[in-house]
Amino acid sequence: MPFDFKLPDLGEGITEAELRRWLVKEGDRVREHQPVAEVETDKAVVEVPAPRAGTVQQLARREGEMVRVGTTLLLIAEEGETPAARPKSVGIVGELPEAAEPPATPAREILAPPLVRKLARERQIDLTGIKGSGPRGSITPEDLENVPAALPAPAGGGFGPEERLPLRGVRRAIARNVIASQRLTAFVTGTEEADITELWELREREQVTVEEHGTHLTFLPFFIKAAQHALREHPNLNASLDDAGEAIVIKRYYNFGIAVETPDGLMVPVVRDVDRKSILELAAEIQELGRKARERTIARDELRGSSFTLTNYGHFGGVFATPIINWPDVAILGFGRIAAKPWVHRGAIAIRKILPLSLTFDHRITDGADAALFLAKVVRYLEDPALLFIESV
Amino acid sequence: MPQLNMVQAINLALREAMARDDRVVILGEDVGKDGGVFRVTDGLYEQFGAERVIDTPLAESAIVGAAIGMAAYGLRPVAEIQFLGFIYAAFDQLLTHAVRLRTRSRGRFSCPLVIRTPYGAGIKAPELHEESSEALFCHQPGLTVVVPPGPYHAKGLLTAALRHPDPVLFLEPTRLYRMIREEVPEEEYTVPLGRARIVRPGNAVTVVAWGSMLQRTLDAVTGYDAEVIDPMTLSPFDSATLLASLAKTGRLVIVHEAPLTGGFGAEIAAIAAAEAMLMLRGPILRVAAPDLPVPLAKLVDHYLPQPEQIRAALDEVLRY
Repeated sequence: MPFDFKLPDLGEGITEAELRRWLVKEGDRVREHQPVAEVETDKAVVEVPAPRAGTVQQLARREGEMVRVGTTLLLIAEEGETPAARPKSVGIVGELPEAAEPPATPAREILAPPLVRKLARERQIDLTGIKGSGPRGSITPEDLENVPAALPAPAGGGFGPEERLPLRGVRRAIARNVIASQRLTAFVTGTEEADITELWELREREQVTVEEHGTHLTFLPFFIKAAQHALREHPNLNASLDDAGEAIVIKRYYNFGIAVETPDGLMVPVVRDVDRKSILELAAEIQELGRKARERTIARDELRGSSFTLTNYGHFGGVFATPIINWPDVAILGFGRIAAKPWVHRGAIAIRKILPLSLTFDHRITDGADAALFLAKVVRYLEDPALLFIESV
Repeated sequence: MPQLNMVQAINLALREAMARDDRVVILGEDVGKDGGVFRVTDGLYEQFGAERVIDTPLAESAIVGAAIGMAAYGLRPVAEIQFLGFIYAAFDQLLTHAVRLRTRSRGRFSCPLVIRTPYGAGIKAPELHEESSEALFCHQPGLTVVVPPGPYHAKGLLTAALRHPDPVLFLEPTRLYRMIREEVPEEEYTVPLGRARIVRPGNAVTVVAWGSMLQRTLDAVTGYDAEVIDPMTLSPFDSATLLASLAKTGRLVIVHEAPLTGGFGAEIAAIAAAEAMLMLRGPILRVAAPDLPVPLAKLVDHYLPQPEQIRAALDEVLRY
């Protein structure tokens, strides 16, 4: 019997992974611990090592396929085992044709009876990700009522040279998350501008000291502190709505998701307990998390559990934006490009450093007035950073 | 219009057919002087004589074999088998001759033969007297299998069977013989073969039941928005009525008293799965007897599907 090598538990709660690339072919000899395949999860690309030595008898999956943990990846014939040596049927009537062993079929992920599948097809609803209310979590026709139908597929394509790229890994996770956010929240974006000339000067001044600690001081730790202080008076924005939409869960902790651009796409590592960390500590931690995200060595747990999110898109040049809520958070605060602008300062026109801010919030939980007050509070802290010192506990 | 039970209704159908058409003859064990084991042929011997109501030896193969010969050469024989469990001795006659005569002779001969037999459990009779093996016969192409639900339909269906050009197996639910009285017209009428009837309209679930399970099913579905279909003819099965109902309900439960495995419910489930796949919103469930021979009198009530089992199946499919 060949050894049936099933995709092992990759840890971190991952239940499936995409088979990116085979590193062996059928017939290859493999050593124990030799990497046989490269798989990609939502966060990382990892190599899967062979659990024992032998000859690769069958690659049970195709590259690009999603493989669930616990389903067959490949078969390894051990030493002395001759692969596929089955006795042929021979009799007086001759030799009977014999079918090949059927390939292992991947487990179905969606529980939905035929009627539901038909309705979903008609309304162009993607059943993945729909939580079923039927037996064993199956999707009922009624569950589809709350799902908005997809727009008709664009009739595009074929009008010029094109390239089709598979939607994979981080990109797919982003696609899934942003659509979920837009479907599940009633989002509104409010904007504001802050004169951060003083903060600018403060940072310039303290940069030297901070560099001595081996850390680079950016504006982000100040933004974090300003938002965290403002959230104390607007706890509705540091919250989530429970599954059934029947309770607002106010978070008594301040874990900030920080959007980080990586070569593979946007990731959102979480800085925990920002209310208990100094600006210096925050600066160091952000630097470290950013590095791990870009190198794809970040742990899944470091990407979960945010209560509020910041995105510093101004780094790439934007002014105002409509950031998408990092669901199940209920708000996200975006920072645009800081620019020197003519500004009314103490009754006269002056050239000041102006920071645009964009706050997207879930209107189910917060109204425009509350959101505007929150933004105004953030602006106050940024314009007068000494307040952070006066008001901090 | 007289209120008749099923025995009387069938007797009336036979009497009228014999009066109208002298090609109609009856043969079987004790059908003559004795009037049949359940008195279905009572009085016919006196009225039509020994040439048309023939008492036969205790030999089912001979009864069916003789009837095939009569049918092939122009008569309209009605053979009675005393209980369905005794027909196995004539299985070979039925399957290798009666149903193949038309095909084998390239249409030169047909076999307009009706075999009547009591069937089904619940009368506390000894072994082989309570068989419900309708599926064995439905599997045979060329044989029409009818299960009348009560007096009115029994008379109309039997009259239609007597005019059918090919063999008909007429399975009379023994338990219903004297249980139901209905108004039965004395004039001639037929109930078409191969057509189901909707006994009770509903929208949430379709329930198919026949024979003695029909009344039990109707009692069990009280309070449910269930549509109950009685096929009446099992083979050929009226799938159009079933599919129209499934388009409305999307759910299916089949109730029969025959054992589960390979029962006719499996065929109905297969038809629904193949032709109504995209209408189904839940599993197709069957409520049937266990895969056991019919037990002796004391246990027969435990053997037959009970109303609670029917309701449990309805509850299960209605979860979807």
